[in-house]
Amino acid sequence: MDGLLQLLINGISIGATYALFALGYTLVFSVLGVINFAHGAVFTCGAYFTYLLLGGAVGSNGMLAGMHFPLALPLLVALPLAGIGAAAMGLLVEAVAFKPLRRRGAEPLLYLITSLGAGVILVNLIQLLMGAEAYALPGNLLGRWPAVLALGHGVQIRTVQLLLLIVAGIAMLILSLWLNRSSYGKALQAVAEDGTTARLLGINSGAIIQLAFAIASFLAGISGGLVALSVNIGGPYFGIGYGLKGLGVLVLGGLGSAPGAVLGGLIIGIAEALVPAKLSAYKDAVAFAFLFLMLILRPQGLLGKPPMEKV
Amino acid sequence: MTATPLLELKQLGVRYGNIWAVRQLNLSIASGECVALLGSNGAGKSSTLRAISRLLPAAEGQILWANKCLSSFRTESTVRLGISHCPEGRRVLAKQTVLANLELGAWLRRNKKAIKIDLDYCYQLFPRLAERRLQLAGSLSGGEQQMLAIARALMAKPNLLLLDEPSLGLAPLLVDELMQCLAKLNKDGLTMLLVEQNVYAALAIAQRGYVLEAGELVLEGTAQELRKNSNLRRSYLGDE
Repeated sequence: MDGLLQLLINGISIGATYALFALGYTLVFSVLGVINFAHGAVFTCGAYFTYLLLGGAVGSNGMLAGMHFPLALPLLVALPLAGIGAAAMGLLVEAVAFKPLRRRGAEPLLYLITSLGAGVILVNLIQLLMGAEAYALPGNLLGRWPAVLALGHGVQIRTVQLLLLIVAGIAMLILSLWLNRSSYGKALQAVAEDGTTARLLGINSGAIIQLAFAIASFLAGISGGLVALSVNIGGPYFGIGYGLKGLGVLVLGGLGSAPGAVLGGLIIGIAEALVPAKLSAYKDAVAFAFLFLMLILRPQGLLGKPPMEKV
Repeated sequence: MTATPLLELKQLGVRYGNIWAVRQLNLSIASGECVALLGSNGAGKSSTLRAISRLLPAAEGQILWANKCLSSFRTESTVRLGISHCPEGRRVLAKQTVLANLELGAWLRRNKKAIKIDLDYCYQLFPRLAERRLQLAGSLSGGEQQMLAIARALMAKPNLLLLDEPSLGLAPLLVDELMQCLAKLNKDGLTMLLVEQNVYAALAIAQRGYVLEAGELVLEGTAQELRKNSNLRRSYLGDE
């Protein structure tokens, strides 16, 4: 029983990251109706930004070899700053890969290719500047906090996992309050539901789309930093796997549904954690098995609604 | 008319690809007027409105707003000028509440007090909306959605209201009620361009009218003249 609880804790904390990731996809998907395939690369940028802002030095293979950020910022400062950096990257992706196509009223399929291209460029840029090596975040980030908290009965949670959960929880709470209560949140929903009508109300849909990109990329950036804290940065392709899994979560939860993204993230995280250690190499297969199952049983996803319109 | 018209279309042409929806349309609206733009399905009425609010580019000719050319304006900016377009098919934001729809109608305005006054005015005009203000707009009936669409357009505090087929799909009794509301709005000083297939209802409240056929202007005049016109009576009012 305690073992199960431990697995649940592990699953929920990794699932929270997936959820943050999928929320980013969802935000952009809801306003544009397309998936931003550069999202994984932006997540990777967030991880590298976090590493650099914490004072980490660049390894010997990149163009920036040996350099480092002059300050070693505390984690709780570095993380939001990395998020802001990632948001800037997201805006760049929007300006390069999305806006020109939007102006032209291009086919949705083309966004797929341009965003994938922007993602590849970002990843290669990281490799060029920072090298292909793995980076480990400094180990003493937590200061006086213990690395592991015991919850009794042999169940424990890593402080990093707890932090990840708290940050993800707060981010989701703020996001949902913002979407449903603030005027900009309502405007974003208006653009998502009917872009033409939104324009007739005087809403600048271009600015709202940029806002969606900025928020989505900010979320990706901080989740990148948090995951890097938990498992270290494996290299410039660090975000690709998470990006693919985020897509699975997106479809599982229902395209364009924010609560669906959170639920889907938690389900896949927990399902992965329940995969026995012996079979852990097949963990990724679990996410996609869920995806296939969902597409067969309920193509609109868990919380997605089938298209319905009142005549 | 001696004063500068509020809105003037000069030789306006609108097209979709190679197909012309509107050709060489001249039309003007003075401040305070209610002008009807009439014609059957596909005559180019909606395309004209969409060109005015810059959802469609004008392929030729000019759209002048108080003598200023609108060709470089984006849709969002026309709202700022005071043009509020209540689109065909209502297009309420079904997933948001009645109140949120109305608040979004006032998106460009910042004066909270003035917005509140207009909100109360809308609720007074359409009491049904006040009763349902916290319901999702998608759960309203067709007539209520039309009221919401009009009220939302009013929340922008427009100088010119573009109405696209407000009577479409409504029961005759509701059409009467709606037209009375529109007449009251016009009497209170709101300038309107009313697109309608329901010629009889539109000419009851408009002072002047234009009739389009296959994208071209075939008739214009005061409402009284148009009501008497035998061609129009034959085509639209069912007279022999």
